[in-house]
Amino acid sequence: MTEPAAAPAISTAQPEDFFQLLKPRVMSLVIFTAVTGLVVADGEIGWLSAAIAVLCIAVGAGAAGALNMALEGETDALMRRTRGRPVAAGRVRKNDAMAFGAILSVFAVMLLGMSTNWLAGGLLALTILYYAVFYTLLLKRRTPQNIVIGGAAGAFPPVIGWAAATGEAPWQPWLLFLIVFLWTPPHSWALALYSAGDYARAGIPMMPVARGAKSTRLQILLYSLVFVPVAVAPGLAGLGGPVYLAVSVAGGVAFLALAVRLWRSRAGDQPDKAEAVGREAALYDVRVEAKPARNLFAFSILYLMALFAALLVESLTRTVSL
Amino acid sequence: MRLTPEQLEARKRRNLAIAGGLVAFIVLVFTITVLNLKRNIDDRVEAEAAGRTVEAVR
Repeated sequence: MTEPAAAPAISTAQPEDFFQLLKPRVMSLVIFTAVTGLVVADGEIGWLSAAIAVLCIAVGAGAAGALNMALEGETDALMRRTRGRPVAAGRVRKNDAMAFGAILSVFAVMLLGMSTNWLAGGLLALTILYYAVFYTLLLKRRTPQNIVIGGAAGAFPPVIGWAAATGEAPWQPWLLFLIVFLWTPPHSWALALYSAGDYARAGIPMMPVARGAKSTRLQILLYSLVFVPVAVAPGLAGLGGPVYLAVSVAGGVAFLALAVRLWRSRAGDQPDKAEAVGREAALYDVRVEAKPARNLFAFSILYLMALFAALLVESLTRTVSL
Repeated sequence: MRLTPEQLEARKRRNLAIAGGLVAFIVLVFTITVLNLKRNIDDRVEAEAAGRTVEAVR
C-alpha cells in the first residue's frame, strides 16, 4: 500500500493547508442546505444568532472533514481525486489534522449549543461522530452500501439549521434530510462508475468495485425512481410553493431521463481514459461510454442546488412580502 | 536546532492564523453572551408585563 508522503519533522504546513482540511467545497454545500433549513423554518431567531449558527454548522462540518482526512491519509494517497489532500500529500501530519478536527468539533458544538439551543448542538455533534467514526472508520471499508448509510451525515445540515431556528425538529426538515439522503447514492455511484479503479486500488468496496458496473447502473436507476418523488414531495406538502414544484418536477424528469440513459449505457464497463493514462487532470475527461455517468453526476449537483435554492427563494419572498 | 527560512515563515503564518482564530473565538463568545443576556432580559420584561413567570413566557 502506498504511504502518504512523509511530513517533514519540522512542519512547513501553511494555514491554507489547514483550510483545505475543512473540505471547503463540501462546506459550501453544507452552508447552503443549513441556511435553507434555517430560513424555511421561519423561527424566532435574530440575524446575528442565525449567522453564528451557520458558522458553527459550517465549522463543525469542516471539522468532520479534517478528522476524515486524518483517518484516511493512506487511502487518499492512492486515489487521483484525493492524493493532493494535505495529509495524503504529506503537507500536514496526521496527528495535527486529528487535533485540528477534534478542537474545531468541540468549539463548533459548544458555540452552537450556547448561541441557539442544545438540540441543534447535539445534532451537530451526532453528525460529526456519524461521519468521522461511523462512516469513515466502520462503514467505508466494510460494505458496498457505505455511501447509502454514510450519506446521512451529509443530510443532517438542514435539520440542524431548522433546529437552530426553532428548537425543534418536526417532519419538514426530515423531508429535506430524506432528499439529500436519497440523492447521495445516485450522485456518488455515478462518480464511482468512472473512477472505480481508484476505489479498487484503495480497497474501498464502492458499488462498481463490489457488484460491478451493470448492477450499479441498475441501482442508480432504482434509487433515482425513489429519489425524484421525494424531491417533489415538499412542493405537494406545502413546504415549497409553485416555483419549487416547477423546479422539482422539471429537474426530476431530466434526472430520471439521465438515469435511464445511464442504465442503458455501458458506463463503467471498461476503465476510463483518465485511469489508463493516470493523469490527475484527466479525472473528468472520461471515455465516451462513461459520459452518461459523468452527465448524471454533474446534473445531480445542479438539481440539488436548484431544489434548495427554490425553497430558499420562496421562503425569503414570503418573509419580505409579509 | 536551526530552522530554515521556509520553516520560520510557515511557523509565523501558522501563529498568525492561530491568533486570528483565538480573537474570532473570543468575539464569538462575547457576542453570544450579550445575545443571551438580551434574550433573557426581554423574556423577563415580557413575563413581568404579563404577570407570569419567565418559564411560562418561554
